[in-house]
Amino acid sequence: MNPSLLTLFPAALRGVLDRLPGDAVQTLEEIRVRENRPLEIGYGSRSAFVRPDGSLTDDYRSAYAPGKEEVRALLERVTNHSLYAVEEELRRGYVTVPGGHRIGLAGRAVLDKGAVAHLRDIAGFNVRIARARVGFGAQVLPGLLDHGARTIRHTLIVSPPQQGKTTLIRDLARCISAGEWHHPRAIGWRGRKVGIVDERSEIAACERGVPTFDLGPRSDVLDACPKAEGIMMMVRSLSPEVIVVDEIGRPEDAAALNEAIHAGVRVLATAHASNIADIFARPVLSQLAADGVFGAYVLLSRNAGLVGHRIVSAEEAALEASGRGRMRAGAVPRDAPQDAPQAAPVTVKTRPMPAIRSPDVRARGDEERA
Amino acid sequence: MLKFIGIALVLFAGTMIGFVQAARYAARPKQIRHVLHALQRLETEISYGQTPLAQALDRIAGAVPPPISPLFKAIARALSNETARTGETVREIWEREIAGRWADTAMRAPEQEALLRLGSTLGASGREDQLKHIRLAMLQLQAEEATARDEQQRYEKLSRSLGALGAALIVILIV
Repeated sequence: MNPSLLTLFPAALRGVLDRLPGDAVQTLEEIRVRENRPLEIGYGSRSAFVRPDGSLTDDYRSAYAPGKEEVRALLERVTNHSLYAVEEELRRGYVTVPGGHRIGLAGRAVLDKGAVAHLRDIAGFNVRIARARVGFGAQVLPGLLDHGARTIRHTLIVSPPQQGKTTLIRDLARCISAGEWHHPRAIGWRGRKVGIVDERSEIAACERGVPTFDLGPRSDVLDACPKAEGIMMMVRSLSPEVIVVDEIGRPEDAAALNEAIHAGVRVLATAHASNIADIFARPVLSQLAADGVFGAYVLLSRNAGLVGHRIVSAEEAALEASGRGRMRAGAVPRDAPQDAPQAAPVTVKTRPMPAIRSPDVRARGDEERA
Repeated sequence: MLKFIGIALVLFAGTMIGFVQAARYAARPKQIRHVLHALQRLETEISYGQTPLAQALDRIAGAVPPPISPLFKAIARALSNETARTGETVREIWEREIAGRWADTAMRAPEQEALLRLGSTLGASGREDQLKHIRLAMLQLQAEEATARDEQQRYEKLSRSLGALGAALIVILIV
């Protein structure tokens, strides 16, 4: 297993994870650690529990359960021994560690004036493993080119969680800044200046300001910067030709994107949504889509462990969204069968409700009478 | 002749023992002061810089004189490198390094206890909480510094002359 990732874990957990079978390690997606509960991993679109000897099982009772001390040590390592320095991240519920792996945290929320101030008693971790998949962008990029302007169209990458949005956007940023357009008519185009606003330190996984993932020679990264503010900072001072942002969805993001677009910058963004209809159902995205901001949409979906993609132009998207009748309500789990049988309808017998008289009414009536 | 050499040696040794003892009395409040300065810097690093603990301790080690600096340096090094291998917690490293290097300092048990207590919470809670613990440790150390100064005034000169006089007593008894 990846040694830099293994070093995150305390000795006992590391011993277990180090003995995972090879094929699971190859396709490892998440490691879920919960205090005093079975250790679970997600790999190749499946999940399994891990026995103390590293073998996989479906029986959670025989799985390894990390104890309190291990969880405490893991939290220390994850926060670089400095919980006080990641309070902002705790407020959002995850930290990003060197290597770009994101660790989601579950614990008890501490409120301050009604808003989440940070988390304490953290007892659940979801280690999501980041992978640079060089070559992913090469399949998608030719469909996004704007041949007139020798750059890309404004693009929104859409998929449910865990389908590889960040991986794709990372490789696209690399291709664009390196000038690897992967299209016969684009030979001789130069790379573009790419500005990456990396609010969650996932795209670039910066370590002291330097990206650990290969993002090509012409990329600038604003690390840990809020998207809306970061886009404006980019436009003002770093003169990007393409701006890359992850997971837009708030109104201020949309406002900043509009500013950037009208400043002559191309935008490459991602968003959570399961299909085109979902984009038009989310308030901020639908406004952007209705304004005709995006020239192309990339839809990601995973089948049998392979990530597929579909590029939809803005006109097709508008057409598709108008036929909303076929829309699915919410996303389905990835391992759900394609045509799941409808669940048998539950019938609930109606029975007459006993008449309840509120005592208050009578009391008031008495008073009135008195 | 031989006798005189012996007398001179005994007198010299006794005086030296007295001086070393006096130096320890003088060094203790000074070292506590250095630790206080270090904690003050740590407070700044945590509250304004939000520097990760290993980096903060490393910077502090550069700013205070020995024998305090090697102590922080060792903890910082263990935090940034060794934990990757051993998976130790801050508390374990802090306790190990302080116990191992305490003999190099002139400080006593109460100061050690205050520092150990600080180590068990360091890095494991939010900013406000960290600052509270650091301030508590500083208060304790300030109290210890006052007693150490008091002892220095009382015993520094005394132990110096006691060493010489003790040696003289031995000489008189033996001769």
